[in-house]
Amino acid sequence: MTFFSFTLLYWFLYFTKLTIKSIGRMFVINDMNSANYGACPECDLLINLAQPIIGDKVHCPRCGFLLAHPRKKSIEHTFSLSIAGLILFFPANLLPMMGIEVMGESTNGVLFSGVMALFNKNMWPVAIIVFLASILFPLVHILLSLLISGHLYFNRSNRYLTCWMRWMQHLDEWVMLEVYMLGIIVACVKLMALAQVEFGWGLYAFIALLIITGMLTSKLDNELFWRRIGQLNKEHNN
Amino acid sequence: MKQGFIRCHDCGNLVKIVDKFSQCPRCDSHLHSRSPYSLQRTAAFLISGILLYIPANVFPIMTVDQFGVGEPHTIMGGIIELIDSNMLPIALLVLVASILVPLFKLIGLSLLLLSVYFRWQINARFWTVMYRIIAFVGRWSMLDIFIISILVDLVNLGGVAQIIAGPAAIAFAAVVILTMFAAKNFDPRLLWDNQQNL
Repeated sequence: MTFFSFTLLYWFLYFTKLTIKSIGRMFVINDMNSANYGACPECDLLINLAQPIIGDKVHCPRCGFLLAHPRKKSIEHTFSLSIAGLILFFPANLLPMMGIEVMGESTNGVLFSGVMALFNKNMWPVAIIVFLASILFPLVHILLSLLISGHLYFNRSNRYLTCWMRWMQHLDEWVMLEVYMLGIIVACVKLMALAQVEFGWGLYAFIALLIITGMLTSKLDNELFWRRIGQLNKEHNN
Repeated sequence: MKQGFIRCHDCGNLVKIVDKFSQCPRCDSHLHSRSPYSLQRTAAFLISGILLYIPANVFPIMTVDQFGVGEPHTIMGGIIELIDSNMLPIALLVLVASILVPLFKLIGLSLLLLSVYFRWQINARFWTVMYRIIAFVGRWSMLDIFIISILVDLVNLGGVAQIIAGPAAIAFAAVVILTMFAAKNFDPRLLWDNQQNL
């Protein structure tokens, strides 16, 4: 039910394009001199980039690096997905994920209780890493993408935009929800032999959050975002 | 770089080199033609990673305590037990994520560093692809750490059964984090700089 309602919300936001202006502005070509040139980040080959068609993949001819993969309505999708992700974040963290029952005794856990359990057993370095990778970084990543895409969607300029964007790019690698999901699966299989495993609503919310963040990272077009941020800042300074 | 342009490493903007310490006009970050001290930083993270890989495999990673009788497991021991209890796919998954991937990363990054340092004439495209795989696969090694966090939390039934994390967990987490930093600091463009016949 939860997941269904959030997909509904996502499609609602997708279909109600509040400002038609912003779509037109997405295809504005940068007016800088070197705009059509780019360098491959992995082999530094200087490339004359044509404006790629939406949905196309552009690879570096020398090393094969994926240079650009522009997506349809990247800003709108990112905005709506990050709202859905932010809402889903709370049930995924607060509702119990799963529990086990052995000989009448039962326990259940949420994301944070795993961190606390490690913390209480003098494993605080591991606890901190798990906390960062599975709770704090996903939250910050969703918040930052919400802020950035919100500003771009409503054409607002902010002097912290570049700073946020940089942080979001660096954080991207440290959001490990999908690894955590695999961890849950393996832990379940291990526990099945010992005890009866029960799943809670938190797990379903977590899976939905995982799908949303996956879609978010695939929809996010860094190149377009930077270009728009550059434009906004230039307009703001003039 | 030869043509007098620098690619901003944060926003990908191509900027003409004006003076030595210039900033990107779009995102204000400092411009470097190559990641600064790439080799030194990668080597530092990599060596600490290699050293910590030994305690991560020697010491027990968790202790399964049933009815007061505890048996400590190393990473390998846990996999062998999974195979014994007929869970081969899961055992393979854990084997790949927590033994093969860190090993592959450590060896691969050392080879990349050596090839840049000694200016080996190599197939740069192939090695760049290898770097890309190393950088992508790194985060999946965190699997074992997450499994421990879930198990320690759930299996906490007082006297009946209890799982306690061992000292190898810290070492293993450190290996994963350090190799991720090492991969992030390595600049694959250095591979291409050394090639004479492109």
